[in-house]
Amino acid sequence: MGKQMVLSEAVHKRFGRLEVLQGIDLEVAPKEVMCLIGPSGSGKSTFLRCINHLEKIDAGRLWVDGELVGYRQQGDKLYELGDKEVCRKRSEIGMVFQRFNLFPHMSALENVIEAPVRVKGENEQVAVERGRAMLDRVGLADKIDAYPNQLSGGQQQRVAIARALAMQPKLMLFDEPTSALDPELVGDVLDVMRQLALDGMTMVVVTHEMGFAREVGDSLVFMDSGIIVEAGKPRDMLANPQHERTKLFLSKVL
Amino acid sequence: MNVAASGAGAAKIPPEAIKAIPVRHPWRWVSAVVVLAVFASVVYQIATAPRLKWDVVGEWLFHQSILNGVRVTVELTIIAMVIGVVLGALLAVMRLSANPVVSTVSWVYIWFFRGTPVLVQLFFWYNLQLVLPHISVGIPFTPAVWQADTLPLISPFLASILGLGLNEAAYMAEIVRAGIISVEQGQTEAAQALGMTRAQVMRRIVLPQAMRVIIPPTGNETISMLKTSSLAYITTVQELFRSQELIAAFNYRIVELLIVASVWYLSMTSVLTFGQYYLERYFARGSARQLPPTPLQRFRHILFQGHAPPPFPPADPLPVYPPRRDDSGQGM
Repeated sequence: MGKQMVLSEAVHKRFGRLEVLQGIDLEVAPKEVMCLIGPSGSGKSTFLRCINHLEKIDAGRLWVDGELVGYRQQGDKLYELGDKEVCRKRSEIGMVFQRFNLFPHMSALENVIEAPVRVKGENEQVAVERGRAMLDRVGLADKIDAYPNQLSGGQQQRVAIARALAMQPKLMLFDEPTSALDPELVGDVLDVMRQLALDGMTMVVVTHEMGFAREVGDSLVFMDSGIIVEAGKPRDMLANPQHERTKLFLSKVL
Repeated sequence: MNVAASGAGAAKIPPEAIKAIPVRHPWRWVSAVVVLAVFASVVYQIATAPRLKWDVVGEWLFHQSILNGVRVTVELTIIAMVIGVVLGALLAVMRLSANPVVSTVSWVYIWFFRGTPVLVQLFFWYNLQLVLPHISVGIPFTPAVWQADTLPLISPFLASILGLGLNEAAYMAEIVRAGIISVEQGQTEAAQALGMTRAQVMRRIVLPQAMRVIIPPTGNETISMLKTSSLAYITTVQELFRSQELIAAFNYRIVELLIVASVWYLSMTSVLTFGQYYLERYFARGSARQLPPTPLQRFRHILFQGHAPPPFPPADPLPVYPPRRDDSGQGM
């Protein structure tokens, strides 16, 4: 398990009596871009949140970069991780949300430098320098002092990506990053993500953008009702889905 | 009509500023006259009340003992509110804590201090020495680490502070809790995803946003506290109400001195109302596109435009974005 960035073995997750994940097995290699697709309620967002400790898994094992998620193993015993450990692990994983979740009381730059300064204890000068560079990278060099409500949805999402990148994560998780955007703003966000993929970032992307999945994704996973129905190369799967359920889903979204 | 042609035609003629006769509002004038008449009648009757000695009001308004009372009232209000806000914020965070012991302690505190009248609590602290002549701090069943007599320790002023402050904390706790709950869950998740600890999320992300919801009722509480502090007169502390009462007790000018006290209370609450407005403006940063006008701006607007400005000006027109490029990967 040293080679994979994410390794999931029979991961189960229940909310009350609802079994949201019913045994997820998958691997994400370093520098791989994996796209997760599926109908709403299929568990793809929940799985993403499990990777980042926002949800606790009920059964199975989940590793990120060779380290167990949420637990520490000693012999054959599992010990739950304390808050501090969980925070440290989260700080190494970037996450981008459907609804951006920028901090509205902070400017774009303040959003980006908040975690490097507070979590990593970085020198503020250094953080500001890199924060500017990050915002430049997502094409928002002229918006560093803007507050989130002065930005369009697409701009907000790009600030959110810059905010995650400022922590220099080894893995980026995207939870439907373009679903809340006006159609004409989607392209700018996807451009940033494509560039990120070219730069060699490991990415797990929950998305409905099949075009992005086909062109940028290295692998594609179709989930339904908490299981992986089909997985494979995006081009093959989108052109020639094997399962009935996949065919039905794709016929509706394509 | 051809749409394209009309568009082109419109471009040639510069739009003219609209000059229309504004809608008349006769009832505004009628109501203004009625209100003025009633107001004048009330003022006239009070001003000319045969037994009301206005010179007595003037004589005592700035008397040293009244001014001292004002000072003590302000001190009581500030200290009690500081205790209320700090302890209240602590109780609110405790109440929302995952630790069941801590959240229960907070719940019981709020239940008790919100459930008994503040007058009773003031009496209780004032009379504590009747049942508890000594106060000691230490581990139970071992010699006390620190001990003091209750009576000099809990002075009338301290009894007032404890009564007002601890009671206020219970109310502030609920206000702060409402503010914390009002902040979207996504904010906490985004902050956690960046690796921030619970304490950092609360201090840096949630509380600053909760302030917008917390400030208005806190201003309300402060104004309320300024007046509730008059109940502290039963602890014999010489705040404004007791000061005027002591004077009235020997010159029998009861109503005149009540007017003196009221003028002071009203002036102080007016100042607070003003301050609250600017605090709210400050914490609206980042949530309103444009800040609401200040009272001064509103006044100018009424003076020069003839009507009040809308409390929140309409948002900026939506910015126009260039059409998406074709190479955006949306080829499906």
